Amino acid sequence: MTSNPFHIDPQRAQAEVDAFRRKLEAGLETLKHVGPIELGTTPREAVYTEDKLTLWHFKGEKPPTAKTPLLICYALVNTPWMVDLQEDRSMVRNLLAQGEDVYLVDWGYPDGADRWLTLEDYIDGYLDRCVDVVRERHGIEALNLLGICQGGVFSLCYTALHAEKVRNLVTMVTPVDFHTPDNMLSHWVRNVDIDLFVDTIGNVPADLMNFAYLTLKPVRLNQQKYVGFVDILDNPKEVENFLRMEKWIFDSPDQAGEAFREFARDFFQKNLLMKGEARIGARRVDLRKITQPVLNIYAEQDHLVPPAASTPMYKIVGSKDYTALAFQGGHIGIYVSGRAQKLVPPAIHNWLAER
Amino acid sequence: MSDKPNDFIDQYQAWVREGLQAWSRQFDPKDASPVAGPSEAAPGADIMGRLFAGLAGYGDWMRSMASGEPPAAPFGGGMPPFGQGGPGMPPFQVGPGFPPMGMPFGYGPPPGATAQPGSESFDEWARVANETLSIPAFGMTREQQEEQQALLRAWIDCAGHYQRYQTLLQGVHERAAGMLRGQTPPTDAESMRSIYDRWVTLVEESYAEAALSDEYREVYAALVNAQMHLKRLQQGQMERIAVQAGMPSRKEVDSLGERLQAVRRELRQMRGLMAEVEALKAEVGVLRGASAKPARAKTVPGSAAKKATTKTARRPSKGKSQ
Repeated sequence: MTSNPFHIDPQRAQAEVDAFRRKLEAGLETLKHVGPIELGTTPREAVYTEDKLTLWHFKGEKPPTAKTPLLICYALVNTPWMVDLQEDRSMVRNLLAQGEDVYLVDWGYPDGADRWLTLEDYIDGYLDRCVDVVRERHGIEALNLLGICQGGVFSLCYTALHAEKVRNLVTMVTPVDFHTPDNMLSHWVRNVDIDLFVDTIGNVPADLMNFAYLTLKPVRLNQQKYVGFVDILDNPKEVENFLRMEKWIFDSPDQAGEAFREFARDFFQKNLLMKGEARIGARRVDLRKITQPVLNIYAEQDHLVPPAASTPMYKIVGSKDYTALAFQGGHIGIYVSGRAQKLVPPAIHNWLAER
Repeated sequence: MSDKPNDFIDQYQAWVREGLQAWSRQFDPKDASPVAGPSEAAPGADIMGRLFAGLAGYGDWMRSMASGEPPAAPFGGGMPPFGQGGPGMPPFQVGPGFPPMGMPFGYGPPPGATAQPGSESFDEWARVANETLSIPAFGMTREQQEEQQALLRAWIDCAGHYQRYQTLLQGVHERAAGMLRGQTPPTDAESMRSIYDRWVTLVEESYAEAALSDEYREVYAALVNAQMHLKRLQQGQMERIAVQAGMPSRKEVDSLGERLQAVRRELRQMRGLMAEVEALKAEVGVLRGASAKPARAKTVPGSAAKKATTKTARRPSKGKSQ
């Protein structure tokens, strides 16, 4: 046996491990009594459904004051309930409190029947029909669109292709430049044979996606997180919060094969959005056609969409009214942290109200 | 340093193992296996599987720190990008050796490949297997023999890429351990847990540096591509078995799905066109009504066409069909 270079005092270490173990034993009792964990607590009504998709309309405690409704377009990865995780961590609830009239696109869980859905089906099909439903309900020509992460990319493409239907565009943690040096996911996928990949596995299983995300920070997310969990095991409320987040992380949809192929190939590998050469179906996506006001919110500690992937947006959209808002936090913290609750929804509301 | 620290770490590790077993039994009395993964346990036990796996890793780390040995590789043996057996499962997990009757061997290790890739015995097995593969196929089952040969080649190729990947990860881990040792030794006031947190930070930094390297990108993609190639060959064999058994194959189901989706797009497009035609017809009706208004004013008090136009004008135009 080699000598211990850290001069750990055995008695002290033993006391530390014993205390850790006692805390864990007591905490396991807490876990046994945790009830069902629910996501999405704000009252809502389904106003449109199609295949696996549901368009939700949220009900605030008071009627909305905003004249133009706000449609949230979430990513295909994970479920959209990150924006309405729990009562005291809900971007939706806070937007409603500000007076916004909020709708949300919930893409649902694709299965084998959805294997051939393309980006055109999602953007020119599902999203466009959701936009039409909201416009029709409110008798308006254009709504406010808020896109999140991949949903932000969809919203950029949609606005470029259907400019007349979007009044203001808000993007959150949305990449436009997929080839920045710190983008690990993009780096990994660059040399993968995407056609062989999708032809082989069809729909991309959610577990596989989660696995890829976990390997971005493997020790922190697979090990240290659970060691840290022991610290809060004696606090039932904190335990519930932890489990709710776990549920959100791991309860995620598969990815429709064709849409995944197009997104991975054209955006991650070829960076076509940044080059102005992306296509949705037969139509080229020209982001210079986005002349409406754009608010781009990014997270400064985002390990999934690094700030450098999002900030060049101002260079490629045609809008002369472009605002960038940096948030001190990570990809998820921007929705659920206490600071985010206080800062982000009011920032969105105020920006919209000024336009 | 004495072995004393290892005593309580032994106790801790045993306790973690027992904890997982006890928890597993609560969900399934038959399942007392300490290695039962989340996928095998009841859904409610999933969080516990992850919790105990994380705690076991912490125990391994404590043991290595106390003994002065390098920490065990934190990435484990099951960290392929897109593993054969699914996420978290080693792609070359050694099973009973032979696949179930009638199954292509690609769904398990090939017959005889009982060693882990990277070991001497595996290399020896691969060498012999490669020699065998140079024998040309012949006879009535020539085609099937060639399929099996291709599958075996793909499996060996995949094993090579997997080994390169594991070697890369091992390097990451060793660099992090070296960096930790190179740092100023902690004071007595520092807890084991704070050293652990520092170690995690160093491992993640080392990992991020490696993961963003050109070498990693190349090795990662090569492994994924090799796995997919292998899986394609497996699927080909399954297709043949399905056809022989008179069952619909994946290829056939996929083909039906593709056609169905194309028909749905056409249907949407036609509905969109129909809506446009209806709107145009309504407009024409209004125009006709307007030109004939003086003569027909008495007989048509409320023009249906006009109502339709009013409705159309308020209705947002439909977008492109799906």
